[in-house]
Amino acid sequence: MDTSQYLEIFIDETKEHLQSLNEQLLILEKEPDNADTINEIFRAAHSLKGMAGTMGYKRMQRLTHDTENVFSEIRNGKMRVSANLIDTLFQSLDALEEYLENIQQTADEGTDDHEPIIKQLNDILASGTGEAPKAEPASKEEKKEAKAAESGGDGALASKFKNIKLQEYEINAMQEAEKKNMGVYGVTVYVQESCILKAARAFLVFKALEEIGEIIVSDPTVQDIEDEKFELDFSLYLISQEDADKVKTVVKDVSEIEDAVVEKIESFGSQKAESEEKEEKPEEKEEKPKTAAPSAPAPAAAQAVPAKQPTPAKQTAKPVVNRTVRVDLEKLDALMNQVSELIIAKNGLVSISSNESSDVSVQGLHDQIEYLERITTNLHESVMKVRMVPIESVVSRFPRMIRDLSKKLDKKMELYMTGEDTELDRTVVDEIGDPLMHLLRNSADHGLESNEVRRQRGKEAVGTIFLNAYQEGNNVVIEVGDDGNGIDVESVKAKGIERGIITQEQAETISDKDAVGLLFMPSFSMAKKISDISGRGVGLDVVKSKIEALGGDVEVKTKLGEGTTFIVRLPLTLAIIQALMVELGGEKYAISLGSIQTIEDISVADIKYVQAKEVIHIRGTVIPIIRLDKILDIEPREKQSDNLTVVIVKKGDQLAGLVVDNLIGQQEIVIKSLGKYIDNSKIISGATILGDGEVALILDANVLF
Amino acid sequence: MEENRTALDGVQYIVVKIGSEQYGIDIQFVDNIVRMQPITRVPKIQPYFKGVINLRGEIVPVMSLRLKMNQAPDEFNNATRIIILKLEPQAAIGIIVDEVKEVVTLEEQEIEKVHYDAKDENPGFIHGIGKHEGELISLLDLHVVIGDKENA
Repeated sequence: MDTSQYLEIFIDETKEHLQSLNEQLLILEKEPDNADTINEIFRAAHSLKGMAGTMGYKRMQRLTHDTENVFSEIRNGKMRVSANLIDTLFQSLDALEEYLENIQQTADEGTDDHEPIIKQLNDILASGTGEAPKAEPASKEEKKEAKAAESGGDGALASKFKNIKLQEYEINAMQEAEKKNMGVYGVTVYVQESCILKAARAFLVFKALEEIGEIIVSDPTVQDIEDEKFELDFSLYLISQEDADKVKTVVKDVSEIEDAVVEKIESFGSQKAESEEKEEKPEEKEEKPKTAAPSAPAPAAAQAVPAKQPTPAKQTAKPVVNRTVRVDLEKLDALMNQVSELIIAKNGLVSISSNESSDVSVQGLHDQIEYLERITTNLHESVMKVRMVPIESVVSRFPRMIRDLSKKLDKKMELYMTGEDTELDRTVVDEIGDPLMHLLRNSADHGLESNEVRRQRGKEAVGTIFLNAYQEGNNVVIEVGDDGNGIDVESVKAKGIERGIITQEQAETISDKDAVGLLFMPSFSMAKKISDISGRGVGLDVVKSKIEALGGDVEVKTKLGEGTTFIVRLPLTLAIIQALMVELGGEKYAISLGSIQTIEDISVADIKYVQAKEVIHIRGTVIPIIRLDKILDIEPREKQSDNLTVVIVKKGDQLAGLVVDNLIGQQEIVIKSLGKYIDNSKIISGATILGDGEVALILDANVLF
Repeated sequence: MEENRTALDGVQYIVVKIGSEQYGIDIQFVDNIVRMQPITRVPKIQPYFKGVINLRGEIVPVMSLRLKMNQAPDEFNNATRIIILKLEPQAAIGIIVDEVKEVVTLEEQEIEKVHYDAKDENPGFIHGIGKHEGELISLLDLHVVIGDKENA
């Protein structure tokens, strides 16, 4: 079957399910008895299995299947959630993600069977249920028997259900059931030879039987049956309150079932006695002697021979999936409406231009242009909205990461996140994941103290790591921090000297802020020991360059002993911004409206000096003055006027006043890059083309601080 | 700009004048030749960049070859042209020349490879000298001229 057309949907949905599994598992770890969560997990795992199966990804299906089995036991209350179990489940999720990654790259799941994980899952299933209180003996048998059957059962199939080797506990279970006045039945089901979906039929039989009772053991195992590793019959033991006839009816009600043998089993002296007691239609048994694995159909073969995998999917080198954005239908509708309006506006202009009488048309033209302006603004907004996605898709994997780190580092920590619904441009969201992850790892590894130290310092035993996202003007701010040790400025300086980044004299004069900035220098790693979590020296400088490549910046706030916060500021949009156009010595510059706080007219006499720097004092705030003409190397004006126009810009909670010659006005500008050849000091973040074709440069106010 | 595509075994060069010298620019990298136009100064960039221009809605940086090659600053007049080069699809760059003269086709035997010694003033900017109708044309190695990171 060609499933390639569903591949994108599959990948999308699988991602969602995996994410939800991750989240739910985290909840489960904290609240092992949360029935809702368990159900949710079970559902997600089940859908995953179904989807993987449909797409023909057998390995993935197998792994999800085993995962699902575990959940099924938990859900039925037959097994308890343990730390070991959660770890294994997380591992299997990782393995699934690996499959998904492969599929995304090549449309093929790869050849890794992840046998260790599958084995671990089965072990847990076996032992976990074994540890469970005696009240649930059934599950215990089911699993152990499954294993027994796996090892030895294959050749014995011909003798149907009586040939199932019952283990003692299974017999115990049956005896116990008998005491409770429940009947124990041996059932052998024969599927029609013409039946195509044997596994599905078998599944229906199982389901039907589970409705009226409890299946203790089956042969072949449930796993094998689901994989169609059986010929035309399978056997099982059932505990049920119904009588034999009822059981038979239930089984035969499933279509394409040829026949079923149901016998009540009266006593459980020994397995031998049992097999003597229940004589069966021997002729039918003879019909199909089987050797399970060799005759198994294709999917089973795929599992049996992991090295050579029959790949239904095409082998492509490049990623098979396009980058997509899921768009809310409402947003698309809004877009459509605005395009319709655009057409109307265009028609309005056409009719004016064809209209001869000039007086009317000038007025009409202005109206139409105004109308057009409004539409294009809205259109821009709508298109931007379409490109916006919540950062949730990126940050939602962090709790899991922190959990793993917590275990690995043996530090108690908790991640608190706010503002996951903050929206950012898709391209930014795609890129921001790694830098944020790196910052979080830093917090976990270097930021937080060890449990011991925390206790000594009288801090909460559980370290806090936080990630707060919010919008601020045209920026989105993401704060990542911890309540740990903070950055030791002196040791940073020492390290800087050691690495030859700064000299001894520089170290003495350097400000704390600049010293902390050293952390962002390439090859500057603070970790005393290199760990695989962070501290390979490719840390913060990569974070910084990545964020700057996205048009953002990083800032650090730290207090020794109290913690560190990294503040990442990212532009909300990439292409079009509202800007204030200003004039400086005949040149035109654009300042993003998002970073502008107010515009003040001040008298030169109001300028005061603090530490030989110009400041103004406005409404109780002291604001440093930046002479843009000096920074931008503009010829100073001959005559200094008595009044200055000052644009107050903000970055976080810092303010600065930019002195400009003239204000031109507010305008929507399209940001264009200056190209890769020009190397400026980042003051100019780009350029834009004005209505008359003139080029205006865009000032990045954030760099001026 | 007339093009002479008849000679297939030679390389076509646009001959430009900078100062008193003639330079040849490999035509395959030339996107366009435009008249001098207002250049918007960009603060704090490399000194040999004059700024950026608006080329049909695209922002294109403009470099002064004279400044790059440590010659006297440009004097703009009617003959001054900006040659728009595209060494990579998405990265156009303009260079200012005093005058665009002609397009010539140089056969391999007409080109003399240049080897530099340490005394050269502008090492690496030209990769050969073309001889054409009794005149000498310095053939610019555009990758060196523009991609200055290692050489400047």
